[in-house]
Amino acid sequence: MKFHWFHGMPWPHLPADFRERNRSVWVDADSRLYEPVEGHRLYHEYLDQLEFAERVGFDGLVLNEHHQHVFGLMPSPQLMAAALARRTSRAAIVLLGMSIALYRPATRAAEEIAMLDVISGGRIVAGFPLGTPMDANYAYGANPAEFRRVYREHHDLILRAWKDPDVFTWNGESAKLRYVNVWPRPVQQPHPPVWIPADGVSSETWDFCAEHRYAYVCLASRGFAPAQSAMDGFWSRVESRGIPCNPYQGVVSQTIVVAESDEEAQERYQPHLDYTSRHTLGDFPGWTEAPGWRTERGIRERAVRTMADLGNPTPPRIPTWQERIDSGSLAAGSPVTVTEHLEHLVTTLRAGHLVGVFHVGDMPHDATLRSTRLFAEQVIPRLRHLWDDYDDHWSPTPIATEPLKRTTEPELAGVN
Amino acid sequence: MAELKTLDLRPGGQTAHVWEGGDPGSPALLFLHPITGIPRWGDALETLANDFHVIAPYQPGWGPAKDDLPGAHDGLDLVLFNVDLLNTLGVGSAHVIGVSIGAWIGAEIAAIRPDAVQSLTLVNPLGLWSEQYPGEDAFAQHPGFPTAVLFSNPDKRTELLMADRDPMDAYVGELLDLRASAKFLWPIPDTGVGRRLVRIDTRTLIATSEHDNIVATEMGDIWRAAIPGAQSVQLSDSGHIADLEIPEALADLVRNFALEGVTA
Repeated sequence: MKFHWFHGMPWPHLPADFRERNRSVWVDADSRLYEPVEGHRLYHEYLDQLEFAERVGFDGLVLNEHHQHVFGLMPSPQLMAAALARRTSRAAIVLLGMSIALYRPATRAAEEIAMLDVISGGRIVAGFPLGTPMDANYAYGANPAEFRRVYREHHDLILRAWKDPDVFTWNGESAKLRYVNVWPRPVQQPHPPVWIPADGVSSETWDFCAEHRYAYVCLASRGFAPAQSAMDGFWSRVESRGIPCNPYQGVVSQTIVVAESDEEAQERYQPHLDYTSRHTLGDFPGWTEAPGWRTERGIRERAVRTMADLGNPTPPRIPTWQERIDSGSLAAGSPVTVTEHLEHLVTTLRAGHLVGVFHVGDMPHDATLRSTRLFAEQVIPRLRHLWDDYDDHWSPTPIATEPLKRTTEPELAGVN
Repeated sequence: MAELKTLDLRPGGQTAHVWEGGDPGSPALLFLHPITGIPRWGDALETLANDFHVIAPYQPGWGPAKDDLPGAHDGLDLVLFNVDLLNTLGVGSAHVIGVSIGAWIGAEIAAIRPDAVQSLTLVNPLGLWSEQYPGEDAFAQHPGFPTAVLFSNPDKRTELLMADRDPMDAYVGELLDLRASAKFLWPIPDTGVGRRLVRIDTRTLIATSEHDNIVATEMGDIWRAAIPGAQSVQLSDSGHIADLEIPEALADLVRNFALEGVTA
């Protein structure tokens, strides 16, 4: 079993009246609420947390891309990955991911991932999310009616740019490039492992992952039942192709907080979970369904839920601590409690990679580190053995050499 | 009575789904639908058919032509689709009325193929952008009521667009029609037609609706100023989808302007 530490990099200082003055945490939230000097401190604190995760034994450090988002101050995960590539030496750096449909030309994404793979010595996972309407369509202006086609084209272009050593011409609808010839080339050949994150039940994503043998990343933020439905759907697509269901092809994410006892976990962490919920409750629905974002099949699948919701409207409210745990959207409590919860989650979903969200909302630095250490020392050892009978083909394969010798301080000081 | 026909167009070879009604011997009228497509052969088309040979196609991507969207890349493809349609029907030229996105398409046809357009009526036209009069974002609406903003009263969406249709089919159709609209109008409905409006030399009437949340009435002045000799009027008691909200008044407006040159 592999364990990864995710950071969403939220802004933790929203005022009490944020909800009254802003219709959304996304796209058009008041940018005057951001304070760059505090942001400077915060970025370094967040990077410290990621580096700490490697130090205590996590297998991967996970970054993602959002735009114009109060709870996602990482418009460029590559920049954070570059910082981590220099300050870490062992853990995978998982870009979960880059919104490849937004890169024009898409070879820019191929170049930057290759650069990161070379700098890090082959520790990169290339995550290719479709993204969200908020990021892609409303913030970046990409046309939703074209977006899936562009995504597929960019995916094909990036993969060929990595795999084809010869100069080639790309005459696509989105990209027209007379000469494609990416320098540098990735350390991992033919390319870094590819993970595809999906929020919700998307049969198209299942097929895409199964067809290309990519890892399928199930974001379990909505709870256990939807996550199980999503993973079952994915595994059924794998099986239908006659491919063995290797758990390492399955990735599940989960919010995790650990304390010495269940009671302490609630007391220490609930306010920070509520911080996020309080500010996203009843968020502007107009950002969620850009016309054309879904295929017709997706529209029909979603329409059933939309019409049911309209027929039975319930006012939104913040879930209680116990509701979060019972629904499976949160693993929280003592190390033993969290171990039991996660063992059930990953074995039921058949997931070989667990992405833990250890920092949420306005969680303080020391509390984040403490939870992380407890997990690393008392949960990981209890679950590490899971899936030992399988080979992991979806983790990076770094350069098999001694750590790089870097120029030391005395050497630098001695330069004339 | 009108008939929904499926035609293979010449010379493009494309399939067209088109409502055709009225006396074929009457003056031809090309109806270019709004964002919401043509939910049915409605009162506006029926009234127009008293005086015109009405030709009302679904543009590629809308209604029964939903699967044709990938083949339509830009405004020029839409112009050629409609010109090919007139050619296939043996209609050399027609009076043209466009509502909403259909008004943009009508303006493009008149700018590119002025010989095909006898008169041009543009109702609540999209296609030009003014920072001063941006209007509501038609594509950032509650997913449960995605086109309610297009009506003067949200209840009119249910009454005029969704009524007498299977609720699920109507809702999915509504979202697919919005998808087609987004292809040409995303993220800002600035289609570039502003560069071509000066080429229009046919009689043109611009009509804006009093309660249109999307196209401000001031936009009517901007369109009128851009098209040589254009006239403008304001429509009462309607939102953006005027063909559904005030069908008879709209039909009167078109008939009076197209056949008699009267704008009152």
